[in-house]
Amino acid sequence: MTKVLEVAGVEHRFGDTVALDDLALDVAAGECVALLGPNGAGKTTLVNLAVGMLVRQRGTVLVGGADPRWASTRRQLGVVQQTLGFPKVLTVRELITGAAVRGGKPRSSAAPIMAELDLTKLADRRARKLSGGQQQRVQLAMALVAEPRLLILDEPTVGLDMPARRKFWEIIARRRAAGVGVLVTTHLIEETAAVADRVVVLNHGRVVTSGSPTELVARFPDRTVLARTAVPERRLAELPGVLSVRREDALVRLATREPEELLRVLLAEDPALSGLRVEGTGLAEAVLAFTGGSARPNAEVRA
Amino acid sequence: MSTAVLQRVSLGRVLRAEIADELRGIVREPTALFFSILMPVGFFALFVSIFGDLTDGTMPAGTRMVATFGTFGVLAATMLNPGIGIAQDREIGWLRAKRVSAVPVLITLLCKVVAALCYAIAMLVAMAVTAGLTGSLEATAGQLLRLAVVLLLGAAPFALLGIAIGLQAGSNATAAILNAVLMPSAVVSGLWMPLEILPDFFGHIAQFLPTYHLSQLAIAQLDGGPVLGHALVMLGSTAALAAAAALSYRHARP
Ligand SMILES: Nc1ncnc2c1ncn2[C@@H]1O[C@H](COP(=O)(O)OP(=O)(O)OP(=O)(O)O)[C@@H](O)[C@H]1O
Ligand SMILES: [Mg+2]
Repeated sequence: MTKVLEVAGVEHRFGDTVALDDLALDVAAGECVALLGPNGAGKTTLVNLAVGMLVRQRGTVLVGGADPRWASTRRQLGVVQQTLGFPKVLTVRELITGAAVRGGKPRSSAAPIMAELDLTKLADRRARKLSGGQQQRVQLAMALVAEPRLLILDEPTVGLDMPARRKFWEIIARRRAAGVGVLVTTHLIEETAAVADRVVVLNHGRVVTSGSPTELVARFPDRTVLARTAVPERRLAELPGVLSVRREDALVRLATREPEELLRVLLAEDPALSGLRVEGTGLAEAVLAFTGGSARPNAEVRA
Repeated sequence: MSTAVLQRVSLGRVLRAEIADELRGIVREPTALFFSILMPVGFFALFVSIFGDLTDGTMPAGTRMVATFGTFGVLAATMLNPGIGIAQDREIGWLRAKRVSAVPVLITLLCKVVAALCYAIAMLVAMAVTAGLTGSLEATAGQLLRLAVVLLLGAAPFALLGIAIGLQAGSNATAAILNAVLMPSAVVSGLWMPLEILPDFFGHIAQFLPTYHLSQLAIAQLDGGPVLGHALVMLGSTAALAAAAALSYRHARP
């Protein structure tokens, strides 16, 4: 599988702050890799290195096998980022045609992409008169028009409504089917679970874990049992397999590794129990745990 | 690696597209146009209609003013437009978008200056026509052409200064800083009123200002005065400000 992004042994410091520490990460053609992690984990620093905005201090960063600091390398790159903008006096068509020309494509490549992103009717409207969501579609069109091999999406769906978000990922999926690699950073973790092949969790500039969304979740055997019960908290804490007890008014949340055993005892203890629900760990909790949150992954328990 | 993806980026097409975008930006935001063209031309028309016919023995004041006001106008356009433009582009994330594109950012900066030169030319033509209409223009087409070439080339260090500031400061601060540099330099260098009628020390300070030396180079195209010393100062200023702009670019926040 050809790699469209190769990052190895990357270290990056801002003064005394170590933003990235011996980082390695690859994106293969057609693959979607989600970069997750708390604020300050180093996601944007990595993105800035990959798009050629930052000067590499140590390690390798290659886009399509070449250094993204070279302008010619960036022909293979499409970027969507909140910090990117465009002059609002230009029209949608002018902006997208300009992006095509800068990417070495004919001006005529603007029309099909405008059609695909429902921008045709807005083609001659100045950007100033577009809604926030429409402006974001223009930015996506500008990123896609030169047919990049690697898409870098830094929080791309912030501000998009549900239908727009779904449409966005449909368009990305079409590119992936055509062999385009995608690196996406987001705080919308459950959205990522649906689209990413692989999740890479960063914390303090290091990869703390990576794997498919289902793999990551599977490492958390914890279940949460929720119920309305009159059983006092002290008693609940003694029940089989209970790891923690949290009460929210009448509702209690019990974390456990043995949900079946717990339920049998719990129902026997309180015949009036109601509102019973059992939840698994979501990707969000899993990521939180890997970056210093509450739940404990299996790997750590075994260690 | 697929050749379809790696098509060549055509420099000619990029330049045309970028310059067109810049010109659209200026035309569609007419306030910028007012300051960079209408104001200098307006002042020029006013001064020429009052003093245009006075003469110092070599040429009518109206002709000399095409050189001095022309210097001011060209500098206002080539220093303020790219400088403020870059600061604005940084604020809205457009410079960043250019920097992640497949076009070297130097091309973007160059196109900003070239677009400003288009406006500078329009302004010079407007001034020459105004002087002609008031009957105070005594210069051959060749002289006027040389004058224009000198001013457009001589705008380089000022454009570089605008870029150096625009890469660091916000757009309002850039406008303020550049105007604070340009306006006093213009007065002291005799671009608005001849140095002869100004206090002596203006003339002494003027020796240290590239604005003065550029206006002298411009006047020399009309009266055949000496050029070498002035040209050397301009070359030196260009080199120094090119270094400043490069340094500024290196330290510009993405
Ligand atoms: N220009 C800079 N100067 C100094 N420190 C910086 C700079 N940019 C980032 N940092 C530091 O580097 C670390 C990583 O920051 P980065 O922006 O990459 O995090 P992030 O994962 O993108 O966070 P967020 O989710 O908040 O966007 C942080 O500690 C941050 O304070
Ligand atoms: Mg970030």
